Amino acid sequence: MTTLGSKEPPPDGADSDHAAPTAVELAGVTRRYGETTAVDDLSLSVREGEFFTLVGPSGCGKTTTLRLIAGFEEPTQGEVRFNGESVTGVPPEDRDVGVVFQNYALFPHMTVGENVAYGLSFTDPPGGGSDEERVRELLELVALGDMMDRDPDTLSGGQQQRVAMARALAPGPDVLLLDEPMSALDAKLRERLRVQVREIQQELGITTIYVTHDQEEALAVSDRVAVMRDGTPEQVAPPRTIYREPATEFVATFVGDNNVLSGEVTAVRSTDRVDDSSDESGRSIADVTVDSTTLSVALDGDSGPEAAVSAGDRLTFCVRPERLTLGADRNALTATVTSAEFLGETTRVHLDWEGRELLLRAEDPPTGTVTVGFDPADAHTVDRQ
Amino acid sequence: MARDFSDGADGVDSGSGDSEESTETASSPSRERGRTVRNTVERRAIVGFAVATIALLLGIFYYPVATVFIDSVLVDGRWTGRVFASILRDPFYLGEPARLLVGEPVGAVIESIRSPDRRLGVIGFTAYQAALSTVASVALGLPAAYLLARYEFPGRRTLRSLTILPFVLPSIMVGVGFVATFGRNGTLNAVLGALGLGQVNLLFTLEAVVIAHAFYNAPLVARVTTAAWESVDASAVETARSLGASPFRAFRDVVAPQLYPSVLMGAALTFVFTFSTFPIVLALGGFQLATVEVFVYRLIRDLEYAEAAALALIELGISLGLLYAYLRYEAKHTVRSRGIRPLPRRPLTPPSFSVRELLPRLGLTVYAVVALAVFVAPIASMILASLSGPEGLTLANYRFLVDRQTTGASFQVQPWDAVRNSLLFGVASLAVALPMGVVVAVLTTRDYRGRKLIDAVAMAPLAVSGIVVGLGLLRGLVFGVEVGGSRIAVGGGLAIIAAHAVAGYPFVVRTVAPGLEGIDHTLVESARALGAPRARALVDIELPLVWPAVIAGAAFAFAISIGEFSATIVLASGTNQFTMPIAIERFIGRRLGPATAMGVVLLVVTSASFLLIDRLGGDDVGF
Repeated sequence: MTTLGSKEPPPDGADSDHAAPTAVELAGVTRRYGETTAVDDLSLSVREGEFFTLVGPSGCGKTTTLRLIAGFEEPTQGEVRFNGESVTGVPPEDRDVGVVFQNYALFPHMTVGENVAYGLSFTDPPGGGSDEERVRELLELVALGDMMDRDPDTLSGGQQQRVAMARALAPGPDVLLLDEPMSALDAKLRERLRVQVREIQQELGITTIYVTHDQEEALAVSDRVAVMRDGTPEQVAPPRTIYREPATEFVATFVGDNNVLSGEVTAVRSTDRVDDSSDESGRSIADVTVDSTTLSVALDGDSGPEAAVSAGDRLTFCVRPERLTLGADRNALTATVTSAEFLGETTRVHLDWEGRELLLRAEDPPTGTVTVGFDPADAHTVDRQ
Repeated sequence: MARDFSDGADGVDSGSGDSEESTETASSPSRERGRTVRNTVERRAIVGFAVATIALLLGIFYYPVATVFIDSVLVDGRWTGRVFASILRDPFYLGEPARLLVGEPVGAVIESIRSPDRRLGVIGFTAYQAALSTVASVALGLPAAYLLARYEFPGRRTLRSLTILPFVLPSIMVGVGFVATFGRNGTLNAVLGALGLGQVNLLFTLEAVVIAHAFYNAPLVARVTTAAWESVDASAVETARSLGASPFRAFRDVVAPQLYPSVLMGAALTFVFTFSTFPIVLALGGFQLATVEVFVYRLIRDLEYAEAAALALIELGISLGLLYAYLRYEAKHTVRSRGIRPLPRRPLTPPSFSVRELLPRLGLTVYAVVALAVFVAPIASMILASLSGPEGLTLANYRFLVDRQTTGASFQVQPWDAVRNSLLFGVASLAVALPMGVVVAVLTTRDYRGRKLIDAVAMAPLAVSGIVVGLGLLRGLVFGVEVGGSRIAVGGGLAIIAAHAVAGYPFVVRTVAPGLEGIDHTLVESARALGAPRARALVDIELPLVWPAVIAGAAFAFAISIGEFSATIVLASGTNQFTMPIAIERFIGRRLGPATAMGVVLLVVTSASFLLIDRLGGDDVGF
């Protein structure tokens, strides 16, 4: 723990998430601009010290949500709460937030040092030192200690981004808001910086809300992710859950590649055979007929679309491309290779299976006609009708 | 870390309300208290400035102009439309159509309109000279636009910048220049005499007025048309050519349609400006070529306030109607296509001696001679005349300006007083116009309900003639207001400062607003997230980023004040508050020498302003 932050970092382990109090809460927030609704009855709570990410395609309302939290916009309906208190009508300067924008918004007529010091004209530096010490401390934190007197426009994009971080953190905000802070940078730098941002966040233990359209970035840095669509979150969960157990078809296809299939349930069986593969023991298996092929899908949940599935239901499920295996005999599908994209560590193979496109990850891409299959436990149900 | 938000929302600093933080940070209580007071002030600053500006605007513009309105409908304590009716029914004002309003048969009126000895009336004549001036300005402006947009030559940029100069040149100074050129002893007659030709006297003719108006407005036409021409995308023309269009067809079908709206804008503005022309007609036409504005002035001089007010309002109605019609058209027809690649410029020296290369350049050469006579001759003649006396070159005229005159009656114009007054009023009105203009610029570039209304309210002074403002200030403030039994009257000097501020601040708005508009809103939002109240963000971030535009706006306002004539002459009559333009008007008939010397002083001051404007914000000016 350095003097940089004013809060204890959360204790290690995932359990702590549940223990930490709510720092920022949105309760039924709606934001309309004339006819269009940018944010629609959104309720979220972000825990203290959490790295929380809003991810979604452009126009999903994620940036508006961030602006509502920062106080640049006021909700049309609903309420934003900080530490349980409504901040309706509280101007941004009184919300104790630090904001980093996509374009960094460094003040062009001030030096790097003056930029970082600006927020200290309105509050005393946390930790009790002088303004100058605080500026130096923050610039060292982002590894720009020697750039104090430079003009912002003489810095590279990545350096500017770090100055913007230092500036936002200098007054010791309660919440750090990051609006696509990486999207103007090239891919390699983006990957390096997101690790840095995460490290700084961990070091300070500061509640951070991060907006990005890049689902890979969201998975890589966050404690929890909210996948947004049309102004509402489709799913709010830790990255692994988002990836492995997407709540909806939209989440399944927006986050990573996925194969989505749907068909009618013809039978639901219980598998309590001990000798069967351990994955399936104690689970229900649904036989789903997709066109004329019957596939086995494990039902591993007792809530959501997987609960109480019965024959005659229409089930939509997904299987990750990396879970399709060549030559497997369970749920075998005979498909034709249409194209292949070489991605480096793997190849993304496009298959045609009875007029549907399937994706497969393979190290050595096959050609011609292939048989792929998947373990019923690797199928995840996203919808039931 | 609970923050006391209700405290913050009340406008009291939130930083001090947090005991936990106060113990954490080692700040002294006095520093905290100082910050609280400062923050409270900063929070309310924008609203405070906005209220002050609007109150000032009400006091020095809307209230006075309203009194003019009331003057025209409240005669001897009774509400009446009589004054308007009598103007509209009088053929002296409205010409032959006025007879329709007194019930004469339509046929007879049309008959007399078609007859050669028809009467135009003052209003008809004003429209007629405005139409002629518009045609002359477009005719003189378009070749300049062609030259500036399509040819490359040394000094092109300078020439392009010079098109903004007329905005700051005092019209009475232009009047002096024209007298020095076309007067009986002017340069034109000197040249004609040297060539052994007869004398001409263009003064007090319609021609002189129209040429002077063209001097003023052709650069405006050239400026807006050049901008449109430069934004034509070369690839659009090339596409037309590749589809089989000849160069002429490509021009007619692709380039010209993109120029029409700008030409029309230049023409519309020229018509409105020249419709309410005053100093030029006063200097070059006299009362025998009186336009509406000159007539309003004459009525004021004769103390016929009700009739003056009614006539001024009719003129204002016509001007605003024209502007409105134009703006409606513009909203429908403006196509803003920023050309990624502008049309290439040709060298001015012909690359080959073919007819196609020589003909346009020959045309431009002829144009250059005409332009020299219209634009350069008046200025050169004025400078020359200011330096000449009966015995050749002399500085006597300038010496006359600085001599404190001990002779002469008190009502005579004291030249040095005029110079001093002009500078004093310039600085004082700048001190009012600059903050006003910046506040209005801030108010009109932010998003809130009612912004359009504020915009219209703040920009209205641009449309109201100086005569009306002057008359309003005279009737409303100088003659005094009855407030709670006591009479509050404002001195003539203060009223002139107010009038100049009203005339100048829209120019500050027009230079500063585009700059503010261009600032990335995330800069302000970053400052606010860092704890800056809105007013602090304005002072710390926005104003430093637009300061060149603020300086340019200040130069504009100063130049406008130095050259202001219409309102000043109304307010200065019978007082000793003469400014340089007023002195020039007094001297123009009798002593051309001092008039030209004073004209040169005005030229120097306004040109210096122009240089500042051009260096710091020329391209951003929203005209």
